[in-house]
Amino acid sequence: MIHTEHLTFQYKKKENVFSFPNITLNQQENLLVLGKSGIGKTTLLHLLAGLLKPTNGTVMIDHVVINKLVTKQLDKFRGENIGLVFQKKHAIQSLNVLENLQARLYFSKKKIENTAIETVLKQLDLNEFKHNKVNKLSEGQLQRLSIASAVIHQPKVILADEPTSSLDDENCKIVMKLLIEQAQKTKANLIVITHDSRIKPFFQNTITL
Amino acid sequence: MKIWKISIENIKSKPLYTFLSVFILSLSSILLLGIQQIKKSFEYQMEHNLGEIDLVIGAKGSPLQLVLASVLHLDNPTGNISYNEAKKISKNPLIESAVPISYGDNYKGFRIIGTTNTFAKFYNAQIEQGRSNEKPMEVVLGNAVAQQLHLKIGDTLISSHGLIENNIDVHSDKLTVVGILKPTQKVIDRLIITHLQSIWDVHNHDADHNDSHNHEHEHKDKDKEITSLLISFRSPAAFLTIPRKINQTTNMQAALPKFELDRLYKYTGVGFQTITAIAYLILAISGIIIFTSLYKMVKERSFDLAILRTYGASNFQLIKIVAYEGFTVALCAFGFGFLFVKIGFKLIFKMMNADDKMYMLQELPYQDLLTIGVSVFTITTTSILLAIYPILKMDISTILSNEK
Repeated sequence: MIHTEHLTFQYKKKENVFSFPNITLNQQENLLVLGKSGIGKTTLLHLLAGLLKPTNGTVMIDHVVINKLVTKQLDKFRGENIGLVFQKKHAIQSLNVLENLQARLYFSKKKIENTAIETVLKQLDLNEFKHNKVNKLSEGQLQRLSIASAVIHQPKVILADEPTSSLDDENCKIVMKLLIEQAQKTKANLIVITHDSRIKPFFQNTITL
Repeated sequence: MKIWKISIENIKSKPLYTFLSVFILSLSSILLLGIQQIKKSFEYQMEHNLGEIDLVIGAKGSPLQLVLASVLHLDNPTGNISYNEAKKISKNPLIESAVPISYGDNYKGFRIIGTTNTFAKFYNAQIEQGRSNEKPMEVVLGNAVAQQLHLKIGDTLISSHGLIENNIDVHSDKLTVVGILKPTQKVIDRLIITHLQSIWDVHNHDADHNDSHNHEHEHKDKDKEITSLLISFRSPAAFLTIPRKINQTTNMQAALPKFELDRLYKYTGVGFQTITAIAYLILAISGIIIFTSLYKMVKERSFDLAILRTYGASNFQLIKIVAYEGFTVALCAFGFGFLFVKIGFKLIFKMMNADDKMYMLQELPYQDLLTIGVSVFTITTTSILLAIYPILKMDISTILSNEK
């Protein structure tokens, strides 16, 4: 459940104000946000994730107005309810695959069984690399790990920022399938923000900025 | 998964920096601990060697030399004093005991001290084998002497003149070993003790020989000389009166061993201070290295840290990651330095003790250890505080947006 109203944002020392259309997603509804670069796509994603505070308007996730939360509550809320996938395949460099997921769970303070980790690792084809350090992984494995990190704590919302822009058609399909599949499994809303029109077919709801 | 686990993995992921940090911080810990340990052991050994000697009276000259020669048995004596005059002084009621010592001879480099049986009491030295010397030409050996020269009860030895081993100026009289002392870890372990009369006799006989070569030597009782008189006081009041009285009214000098040693520490102190200053300088440098290592981590891995924030980590948890990393390095380094000093010194002293029982390792006092520990801790904390500053200023959104 996610709902935004009259969302605007202005960067410090900059004149242009981004204003965003209202978004309302019910449980298990997904959304594709399309737009050219520089139009404020990432800004919108950061507003939804509570990484930025809107100048005006509200972001409500699961009946919580997150822009009203103080930093500490927001950290906690984000940890528990939001999963983020970035274009840059990310993970904590000094840890291995398994440890990355464990760290993810540790910080989100969710008690999740090891079997759940195993399941996600298997679904994402990472089980045999779970003891590999992050820098020993291939691009594809890293991408899958970042998806795993975004879903392992069973968030309410999965936010993905250009998850496919550097991928070829085939991998683009695989990644989108994985994201939608994982969102369904955890009953989360999936919002993908991209300029990559190849992924349009995966969504019923699309807005263009 | 715990915070410290991430810190440990961070440490492991950059072995070179970790090694450098630990190495240089251990080095400064070793220097700081080592110099303190040497200083304490040195001072303790010196004071320990004083035994219960409060005052030493000898011929005029350098008071430090008198103390070094007659109390620590390291230097040459300043000269001789008259036995009769010394006896007069020892009648003072403020004096608990006064022990004359006389030397001039050695056996294989170990000094032979002519004295009375009270001498051993200054050091609480007890007989281990045999008995104490009663007659002239009988000697009791300090424990280290017996050990190193493999001498037993009943063995005889011929002293040579002077304080350094030589084969040229050898006396003809034989001294017989009648007793061996228990080890005391004091200077008496390295001395050969005999009756005053023995020294006089040895030199008297030689004088007889020399007489035959037309050299004139007379040894009447009133001309008898000793090297110095060691005194312990009955009351502290004596410190104020007796030394001044002797220095002003006689042609002898009185020196207070504790006072002279304090003066000596002041000379040697400069060296200790210099090394300590260098050690603190290295400590400061190691602080800078730890700072660099952590700061580099915070800057280079700002993306990692921002990701952790999106995982739900609070700023405070990120600070903990950095702080644990810094403190782990500091703790390892200090622990390593401490162990190195402990084990290193044990080995060094063991090697030294193989031929010299005089040195004794002193435990580093708790306060000194604490002071050094606190210094290391303070430097580390400062480095950490400086390094976490970027975390406090971190704007996750900007870091994550600049990823492309």
